Amino acid sequence: MKKQEQINKLIEETLESLEGVARAEAKPFLMTRIRARMFRHTESAWDRAGWFIGRPAVLLTGLCLILFINAVVVVFNRQPGKAAPIEQLSQSPNDEFSYTVATIYDIENTQP
Amino acid sequence: MDQQELIGQLQQGSESAFVRLVDEWQDMVYNTALGIVQNAEDADDIAQEVFIQVFKSIRSFKGDAKLSTWIYRITITKSLDHEKRKKRKKRFAFVQSLFGDGNEEEAQPAEFNHPGVQMENKEKATGLLQAIDRLPEKQKVAFVLHKLEGQSHREIAEIMKTSLVSVESLIARAKTNLRKLLTEYYKDKIIEPEKDPL
Repeated sequence: MKKQEQINKLIEETLESLEGVARAEAKPFLMTRIRARMFRHTESAWDRAGWFIGRPAVLLTGLCLILFINAVVVVFNRQPGKAAPIEQLSQSPNDEFSYTVATIYDIENTQP
Repeated sequence: MDQQELIGQLQQGSESAFVRLVDEWQDMVYNTALGIVQNAEDADDIAQEVFIQVFKSIRSFKGDAKLSTWIYRITITKSLDHEKRKKRKKRFAFVQSLFGDGNEEEAQPAEFNHPGVQMENKEKATGLLQAIDRLPEKQKVAFVLHKLEGQSHREIAEIMKTSLVSVESLIARAKTNLRKLLTEYYKDKIIEPEKDPL
């Protein structure tokens, strides 16, 4: 009981320990460091692209998209496709002895 | 030079106006970042990033809020981003240690002492800051702005783009959580006096 009272008292004192706290001051020559950083760090388009691609959300979305495309390709390739047409290797006799009607040009060109 | 004039000059790219802006707001930015990240080097880094961001984005500042409110928002965003990066690194180091030979020792952060705390309160404030560091993000921001920056609830609501009621609730919940965390902290510290065997 005594211990709990002691703890409660300490907690209240601790919660009030930041009363009247002064503002922490920045280290001297901050402006010089800012200037140096501004000149040092000129981001290129590649840096920005790298940063964008490297974001977890973009990276995960890209990965999911690739997996999805792969899955789609696999599923569609698994479907029974149409049988490949068998090439006609032998010319049928009908074709061989067929009579084709000559065009008007052929008729005209028969005359020497 | 009033604030509107300063903003106008900054938007025209005036370097002297930028120097003035840094001079005027550097302690506010540093103190806020320090309260959130609780590390002097990191807070200095964040302060630099904040001012570079301000310089780059001042043209998009429309004047809907006060300049200080806008700078506070950038500071808080940068500080919280820094905290997230730090946590990610910690998680990655933990995973690495699982696959490593187990010889890597995790560097324990040194106890943080805020330079503005009065001497007689140093020890208690250190315990309180440790507890603040374990608060959820929004509660931490609201509490830091209130206690370390002395901002009113209304100003905090404006900075955090939320309602006054939400801020009051955040601070009340922060206090409840801090009480719980401090109870654990002091239970470990206080040893019951040994009873006299006679």
